[in-house]
Amino acid sequence: MSTIALKTLFLKEVRRFSKVWLQTVLSPLVTTSLYFLVFGVALGSRLREISGVPYIQFVVPGLVMMTMIRDSFLNTSSSLFQSKINGTITDILVAPIGALEMVLAYVGAAMIRAIIVGTLVYLVALSFTWFPLHDIGWTLFFTIFVTATLALLGMIAALWAEKFDHLAIFPNFVLLPLAFLGGVFYSIDLLPEPWNTVSRLNPLLYMVNGLRYGFLGVADVSPVTSAGVVLVSFLVVLGAASALLRSGYNLRS
Amino acid sequence: MKPPVLCCRHVTKRYGKFTALKDLSLEVYEGEIFALLGPNGAGKSTLIHCITGLAKQTQGSIEVLGFDTVNDFRTTRRLVGLVPQEIGYDPFFTPLESLMIQMGLMGVEPNRSRAESLLETFALSDKRDAYTRTLSGGMKRRLLVAKALVHDPRLLFLDEPTSGVDVELRRELWQEVEDLRTAGTTIVLTTHYIEEAEKLADRIGILHKGELLLVESRESLLERHGGRSLEEIYLELIHKADGRHAA
Repeated sequence: MSTIALKTLFLKEVRRFSKVWLQTVLSPLVTTSLYFLVFGVALGSRLREISGVPYIQFVVPGLVMMTMIRDSFLNTSSSLFQSKINGTITDILVAPIGALEMVLAYVGAAMIRAIIVGTLVYLVALSFTWFPLHDIGWTLFFTIFVTATLALLGMIAALWAEKFDHLAIFPNFVLLPLAFLGGVFYSIDLLPEPWNTVSRLNPLLYMVNGLRYGFLGVADVSPVTSAGVVLVSFLVVLGAASALLRSGYNLRS
Repeated sequence: MKPPVLCCRHVTKRYGKFTALKDLSLEVYEGEIFALLGPNGAGKSTLIHCITGLAKQTQGSIEVLGFDTVNDFRTTRRLVGLVPQEIGYDPFFTPLESLMIQMGLMGVEPNRSRAESLLETFALSDKRDAYTRTLSGGMKRRLLVAKALVHDPRLLFLDEPTSGVDVELRRELWQEVEDLRTAGTTIVLTTHYIEEAEKLADRIGILHKGELLLVESRESLLERHGGRSLEEIYLELIHKADGRHAA
C-alpha cells in the first residue's frame, strides 16, 4: 500500500469539500437547523415527552444522524461521480493506487465531512436544549460505522451511475424517505401494526435509534441490536464496494 | 539495440464480441520515440489503456522494464506516464495544486519546487494559482503533459497529444517531446498526423482493426519504399488490409 498516495488522495478529498464549504458544510447545517427549529422548538413545545425525554431533545440525535447519513453519502458519491464525468478519475486509475487506498481515502474524507456537520448540528441544538451525552462509546460507534457505511454506499452509487439522474435516486428516493420513516421525528412505538413491524425492516431505523441511545439513553431498539444491524450493513457495503473497485466496474474497461 | 522498456506478448482485448486487439506483440526500446499510427478505432488507445491500467487485456501479458502490468501494477504505474487523449481537469484545484496532488498520487512526496519547475517548463508559471477551468485549451493540454511527468516516468505515452491543437502549440509540443527524449524518456506516441510521426519517430507501428500491420524504423521504411512519403505508404497498407478483411 502506498501511504503517500493514500494521504494525498485523502487530503485532496478533504480539500475538495473544504473549498466549497458553503455548499458542503453550511448548507446542510442551515437545513437541519431549520428542521430542528420547526419540529423541535416550535412544535416540540406543544408535544408531550416521548420515551421519557422532552420532544425537543428526542429529535436531536435523529436530525444529527440524518445529516451525517446524507453528507457521508453525498461526499463520496458526488466526488467519485464527478471524477468519472470530467475524466480526472484517470489520474487515480493510472497511479499505483489499489482498491484499499481508494476506499480508505474516499470514506475517510466523507466521514470527516459528515462528523463536522453532525457536530455543528449538535452544537446548534445544545444552544436550545442542553443535555449531556448518555454514552460516549455508543455515540462514537454509531457515528463511525454509520458514516463509513453510507460513504461506502455513496461509492457504490457513483460507480453504478452513468448520469446525474441515477445519482439523485439514492438521496431523494431512498435515503430521505427511509430516514423520515426511520424514527427521526417519532418513536415507532407510536405506530400501529403492521407499520411498527414494517418499520423494523428499515436499516436506518437502527442507525437513528443507535445514536439516540448514545445521546439520550432511550431508543425503540436495544443498542446491541442496532449495532448488529449497522455492523452487518457496513460489512455488506464494504465487501460490495471493494469487489466493484477491484473489478474496475465502470472505471476500467 | 537497447533493452526493451515495453514488451507486449500476444495481447488480445475483447469488448463482448468485438475484438479491439488481436494477438498483438510489440517491443519498445529504451530512449526511442515510437509512433503508433492507425485510423479511428484501430485499437491505439485500447493498447495504451491496457499498458497504463485503464483497461485489462483479455489475453496475453504486458511488461514494463520486466514487471508485469497486472501482477506488479504498483511498480509499472510508477514507471509509466500517460497524457490522455481527452482533456480532463479538476475544477477545484489550480495548476500548482494539481501537480502537487498528482505527485502524491503517483507515490512521490509532493515537492513544490519540482511542481514550479514543471510549470515553468510548460510556460504555465503565470497561471499557477488560477483555477484550471480558466486556462485555454492549449494550456490545459500542456498541464496534462506536466502532470504525466511529475514522477519522472521512464516510459511516457502521448495519446494523440496534438489532436485539435493549433499549429503553434503542435510545434511547441513536438519540441517538448524531443527534449524529453533527449533527457532519456522513452516515448510512445499515437497520432492521426502522419507528418508528426515522420518528424518525431524513430520507429513506426501501424495498427489497423486491432492488428499490427507493420513495425519498422522510420528510416528503413522510407528507404524501402524509395521516394514515397510515409502518408502514401500508410494509406497503401491500410487499403491493402481493408481489401484483405473484405475478402
